[in-house]
Amino acid sequence: MRNTIGLLLVLTVLFIIPTLEYAFGQEEPGKYLNRRVEIWNLFFRLMVVAFTIGAVVSGTLVWLCIRFRESNPKAKPTKYEESGAW
Amino acid sequence: MVLELQKPRPIWQIMFSTHHTDIGLLYLITSLAFFFMGGVLALAMRLELFYPGAQIITDSMTYNRMFTVHGTTLIFLFILPFASAAGNYFVPIMVRYKDMAYPKLNAIAFWMIPPAAALVWLGFADFTWYAQPPYSIISAPGPAADMWIFGLKILGISSVLGAINFIVTIMKCKHPDLPLSKLPLLAWSFLTSSLIILVAIPTFAAALLMLLTDRLGVSGFFNPAMGGDPIAYSHMFWFTFHPEVYVLVIPAIGFMYDIIPRFSRKPIFSHSSGVFAFVLIAIVSFASWAHHMYATGMSFTEKTVFMVGTLAAVPASAMHIFNFLATMWGGRIKFKTPMLWSVGAIALFFAAGAGGVVNSAMPLDFVTHDSYWVVGHFHLFVMGTIAFATFGFAYYIFPYVTGRMYNEKLGQIHFIISFIGAIMVFFTQHVLGLFGMPRRIYDYPPIPEWIIMNQIATFGAILLAIGAAVWLVNFVYSMGKGKPANMEDPFELGGKYYYPYQQKTPHHD
Repeated sequence: MRNTIGLLLVLTVLFIIPTLEYAFGQEEPGKYLNRRVEIWNLFFRLMVVAFTIGAVVSGTLVWLCIRFRESNPKAKPTKYEESGAW
Repeated sequence: MVLELQKPRPIWQIMFSTHHTDIGLLYLITSLAFFFMGGVLALAMRLELFYPGAQIITDSMTYNRMFTVHGTTLIFLFILPFASAAGNYFVPIMVRYKDMAYPKLNAIAFWMIPPAAALVWLGFADFTWYAQPPYSIISAPGPAADMWIFGLKILGISSVLGAINFIVTIMKCKHPDLPLSKLPLLAWSFLTSSLIILVAIPTFAAALLMLLTDRLGVSGFFNPAMGGDPIAYSHMFWFTFHPEVYVLVIPAIGFMYDIIPRFSRKPIFSHSSGVFAFVLIAIVSFASWAHHMYATGMSFTEKTVFMVGTLAAVPASAMHIFNFLATMWGGRIKFKTPMLWSVGAIALFFAAGAGGVVNSAMPLDFVTHDSYWVVGHFHLFVMGTIAFATFGFAYYIFPYVTGRMYNEKLGQIHFIISFIGAIMVFFTQHVLGLFGMPRRIYDYPPIPEWIIMNQIATFGAILLAIGAAVWLVNFVYSMGKGKPANMEDPFELGGKYYYPYQQKTPHHD
């Protein structure tokens, strides 16, 4: 559990730090921020992340449905089926 | 066993009963009836948007009224009552108690719904389910708007009464040998969502009263002309209704926690992580309401806080998805209709969640704000996830409620058509939003990209409507003439822990 919380904290911080850059970009004099470009850049980067994770999760889901369906030749009763309790 | 339709009783016996399964049946029938009524409005709106210009709806006011009642109906009169139906049927059984803690209060909570629904439908207000001031105060025509306010007020009280009943039943009436840690996750879902309702609803109840007195001209809380602030209403509304989104989704996840292990023929991968995720999501649901309001001139710090608060829901949602996938892993999965809907709900839950993460990033919110992206995201959640899990659970409890089996082939056709339809409507709406189409519009300029995408979405809506018609025919026919169900193992899974099988006190004797 401690490891999980630690991992979540690290991921959260990693996600926030790049975002803070935009705030300082607005405050520092002389630094021009093209919001439109930055926003669409962020959108495309997040879309790359979302589609990558989405492909992994969806791929896993599809594979699970094919591999563990009861009509799959490799399917065998689970150890819980003997007792009938699950 | 509860075989309402195999052992017919006079209708008044069910209507005036306080037994939890009878109240559950009343909730079930009410919610499914309102699903079809709200769905007809949705189809009419999609047909209207098939092409620029007026198609089947004569004026924008009528269109506004239709989407107001559509949203109000499907959230408050379909999803919430269906969750109450499932809770009424199963929570007492899961905690091993003879009934809900307060049976009469339970009946009162249900019987508040028909008058509230009548107020909403007979009024047919036009200010969206959000009732945003100052329009809702200054210009929204009465008595429709006032009827909507009273209707929502009654529905809020009904929700609170139901929530109190669930909490007391679970916490105080559960069997002494049953620790909370062993409580099924479906019961946990009702406990956490009821706690959210208790904390969230009073704020909106206050906002409704303030809205009403503003409309009557005796106060000016949200009226800029009287020194009030419409944004204050937005805060109060979203303080209730962002958590309310989780009130809708948590029971749906609970349904999936019941169906997926059953049909995978193995226990849930991690019960404790499911409980942890429910509790976590209940807490963080109150830390994210203002992400709906990034565009209202909030400071950067406020926006950052609510962005992080919103993202805190991601680990909890991911835990649920991981739990579902890990449960299926190593199982021997029977793809009966309830399982198909659950797998579809997992896929679309992930897609909707990914869109939500993009939304919660505040710079991106300015691109998507008030566009069709938001419509697509919200509907992918409520239809693609919550309603899909709900449909699956409706098939799952069908033998329990009726004593008969539905037609399996028709159930599968319903799923396949609806899955394709949902993707065509709601994914396309995301892209429409990125192309700049604003939400809540009756007509739009003839931009070729907008036209083609609206047409794809409308074809998707037609598929959803066909699916719903197949469902209706299947259920109505099977209720009367379906094959009698084997109540000990209706889905031929081989297990013995299908909850209705444990039912020992079907009626007050």
